[in-house]
Amino acid sequence: MSRYKFSKITVKKRLLLLFVCIFLLVTALILRLAWLQLVRGPELQAKAWEQWTRSNPARAQRGDILDRHGRLLAGSASSLSIMARPNQIKEEDKAEVAKKLAPILEMQEERLLELLQKKADSVYLKRQMPEEVAQEIRKLNIRGIHFSPEPKRYYPHGSLASQLLGFVGLDEGLAGLENQYETELKGQDGRIEMQTDGRGHQLPQGIEKFIPPVDGYTLELTIDQNIQFIMEREMERVMLESQPKGIMAIAVDPQTGEVLGIAGKPDFDPNNYADYPQVNWKLTPVTNTFEPGSTFKLVTLAAAIEEGKFNAAEGFYCSGYTKVAGTSIGCWTRGRGGHGAIDFTKVVLGSCNPGFIELQERIGAVTLMNYVKAFGFGQKTGIDIIGEGTGILFSPQQYGPVEAATTSFGQGVSVTPIQQVMAVSAMINGGYLLKPYIVKEIRDSEGTVLTKKEPQVVRRVISSATSEEVKRIMELVVTEGSGINGYIEGYRIGGKTGTAQKVGPNGRYISGEYILSYIGFVPMEDPQIILYIAVDAPQVGPQWGSQVCAPMFRRMMESILNYLNIPPSTTPEEAVPSMVEVPNLIGLPLDDHTNALLENNGLLVRFIGEGPTVLNQTPKAGAKVPLHTQVLVYLGGTDEEEITVPDLSGKTMREVGEVLGWLGLRLNSSGSGVAVQQEPKAYTKVAPNSVISVEFAAPDAEQR
Amino acid sequence: MAGRSGRNLRRKEADFILLFTAMTLLAIGIVMVFSASYYILRENKDPYYHLRRQVQWAVLGLAGMLFFSNYDYWKLKRWTNLVLLFSFLLLAAVFIPGIGVEILGARRWIGVGSLTFQPSDLAKVAMIMFTAAYLSRRDIQVRKFTEGALPILIILGIFFALIMKQPDLGTGVAMAGSVMLLIFVAGVPMQQLFLVGASAVPLLLYLIYSEPYRLQRLMSFRDPWADPLDTGYQIIQSLYAIGPGGLFGVGLGQGRQKMYYLPEPHSDFIFAVICEELGFIGASTVLIIYFLLFWRGFKIALSAPDAYGSLLAAGIVSMIALQTLINIGVVTGSIPVTGINLPLISSGGSSLLFTMCSLGILLNISKYAK
Repeated sequence: MSRYKFSKITVKKRLLLLFVCIFLLVTALILRLAWLQLVRGPELQAKAWEQWTRSNPARAQRGDILDRHGRLLAGSASSLSIMARPNQIKEEDKAEVAKKLAPILEMQEERLLELLQKKADSVYLKRQMPEEVAQEIRKLNIRGIHFSPEPKRYYPHGSLASQLLGFVGLDEGLAGLENQYETELKGQDGRIEMQTDGRGHQLPQGIEKFIPPVDGYTLELTIDQNIQFIMEREMERVMLESQPKGIMAIAVDPQTGEVLGIAGKPDFDPNNYADYPQVNWKLTPVTNTFEPGSTFKLVTLAAAIEEGKFNAAEGFYCSGYTKVAGTSIGCWTRGRGGHGAIDFTKVVLGSCNPGFIELQERIGAVTLMNYVKAFGFGQKTGIDIIGEGTGILFSPQQYGPVEAATTSFGQGVSVTPIQQVMAVSAMINGGYLLKPYIVKEIRDSEGTVLTKKEPQVVRRVISSATSEEVKRIMELVVTEGSGINGYIEGYRIGGKTGTAQKVGPNGRYISGEYILSYIGFVPMEDPQIILYIAVDAPQVGPQWGSQVCAPMFRRMMESILNYLNIPPSTTPEEAVPSMVEVPNLIGLPLDDHTNALLENNGLLVRFIGEGPTVLNQTPKAGAKVPLHTQVLVYLGGTDEEEITVPDLSGKTMREVGEVLGWLGLRLNSSGSGVAVQQEPKAYTKVAPNSVISVEFAAPDAEQR
Repeated sequence: MAGRSGRNLRRKEADFILLFTAMTLLAIGIVMVFSASYYILRENKDPYYHLRRQVQWAVLGLAGMLFFSNYDYWKLKRWTNLVLLFSFLLLAAVFIPGIGVEILGARRWIGVGSLTFQPSDLAKVAMIMFTAAYLSRRDIQVRKFTEGALPILIILGIFFALIMKQPDLGTGVAMAGSVMLLIFVAGVPMQQLFLVGASAVPLLLYLIYSEPYRLQRLMSFRDPWADPLDTGYQIIQSLYAIGPGGLFGVGLGQGRQKMYYLPEPHSDFIFAVICEELGFIGASTVLIIYFLLFWRGFKIALSAPDAYGSLLAAGIVSMIALQTLINIGVVTGSIPVTGINLPLISSGGSSLLFTMCSLGILLNISKYAK
């Protein structure tokens, strides 16, 4: 046999060898199976379980914010978040999916593709979309795209109380009460766990687990939605008419410290908060501090009465200035030789600085400061709002005779609007300084009351007798003093105006910029509401509190009294003339004296033209006109009155009509909805009776 | 002696254990194909599609098996060259548009409509028939390289190239592997085998690096979690089926991984479904049944009356054993992913038919055992 020959022996040997190999391999595979199934089984099972189980968040409903009568201020509307499971979409299909979704979600294709390529179990493509968008995507029937219900915050009244309420970002409250009460409002998200097949469909025999969400708590505020609305309406109006830098207003129940309404302008729409500058987000009546001016004189008055150093009938002579420790401090009447011989009632009514310095000297500097502090100035009121301002008083080291003198009439100190409101509340409610509050009650989703706030007295500052005397004098301010423009027929009202020069960042006064304020309460017998208004530097018209704030107070208060059904006073009121005589203004400069002539007579004024002195007036001097009649004052240069056109964008046709009516302009409208275009443009000057063309469009079309 | 003289041999009963194990695996296959495909097919309104198809091919396969178990195996020799040529033509036909069918970027099928057929399945059998016939020729020197191994390697190379062109790595490897095993069994000297093996290394490297996905796949079985969404995906899904199966399995029909997680749960990854539903006990029983089948196959090869019968039996059994071991190796994450059927169990049309025919030949050889 050749050595190349086929050998049966070799074949047999090799077959056996091969068979042994196969035996070993089969044995190895059985061992491998045992390793995977018996040893690593539990670990692999856990991982597989993870793969089979999809967990979808079940979002807790954010708690509502309600007004004192249960009316909705902030709620949650249903919306859907669009999600994707990247590993369920084939790599090569992703570009196509991104292309299809981009126009519907209004997103960049590249951005979508990036999200779809993420190595995550689940990604958000876009959050909180309306149902219609989800429906459009459902129609495309794309594998790996799904929807998760996620309530979206909405504010049914737009900007109403926006600075107070704040707003919610995608996941949490970012400003205002929404931020402050985040924990209470948010609730606790739940989870839906279910087992699915590789395409995300629920398995027929899969286990389902539902961990229900705990809905957020409801906040009930002390705010009355209608009062808030009335206040903001008037504020918006003055924003347009006088174009100030800002307005702050607070309404409080002086017996309880409950805040009935609080707002600052300019504000924002919390539904679209990102469209507004961040400075608009703060609740200015609580956070802002400024020099109070004459309204602060009430503190000196109350202190003097309490200390027995005030006698209303006692005579006082104002020569237009007084010397304090060698420094001459003037009265606003200095240019005309002072108030002359008056009594202390007139000191208050005429807002006479030397008179208040006299009262301060009688009380003593330290005692006055003690009263200032006892009324709550220089410290937080404790209102349940984050970011409350403290204000600044003179420190003991700085506090000399001159500082005490200026403090007595509200200069050199800085305060917040809420501090002033609470201090005056204490003066008129029998002497109790109260802690103001806004959240009245916190309830869980079942309605169980968790927290209920009760009025809280911080301290008693003055006696009831003193309180009565302050009230009496504040009523006189309205009936025969500088507050008459806030007078409402049939009601007994107390009030006080204030005009304070603004302090700039360098600590000096800004020339020509004033903060005008008015504080008043109704009714005299049993004060139920105290209302404070501050207007920051009006750019159009007179910068006199009596001309800007007092009429605003009157309009607001009239509506509020009407809404609250507070009946007119039955007790005899101080006589207020229904007809007044127009004083002669011709030749007078536009100074505080001219203001006083008008305000003490209860007349409103409208400037026509520009110039330093009054050239003419209508009605003429000596004419008898009804209280609160508007006197037209011609200032010269031109006889033509010029009116600044307001910015009307976003206003409804009714609002535009009202605003233009107030300004003496005519409307030529086209379209319907909200104003989107106007001609002439905002802030241009036009003659009275000019026609303003305004184009209206559906609000949606404009916003997209 | 061998060949023609076989007709003088005494005919015995066919090998019962081989028949029994094959029938058992076929039955398990039909049940598991149904279990693995039912969920996915629900949506197609015909959940019995794969079951019906498997039964149809099994009936056809049984007919083929019956035929070949009664067709004396040495008569096959005369058809060898014809079958080889025919399968070569079919392999080439795959690339002719209109006849060849392209599915997911691969041209492995020919046919019209749903009636498709993989020529590579026939090619495997043809190569084994040819190798067995050639190496058992009395006029060649098996141990001489130019007369023994070389001519076979040339033809194998052509067939392998055609199959790789489809591309179908799994079938190519199974065919080349079983032919090489047959050369080994036939008694080709070890030095030659090492030489062939060494010269195949550059070719293998070329094949691996010519398609970038191959290397990734090749290595991903080491750590499938390194790239769980792409290259490691199949292995991970397979392990997620095997692991939860545990000792007893989750129960027939109760598996989850076949529900769009496992790729090809009714064909290449059907063993994973078996592991999940029948557990370690079921899966190792299936492996043992296969082992019994291999044992009988080797026994038939050892006791065949002539060299041709011996080599033919050895080729057939090594082909089936190799496919089985590769498939289960892949499914258990023991070797790189290679798309290959589990013989007799996977749903696989023509593959099942040719496996059954081969078993028929094996049965026929067993009738002439010495």
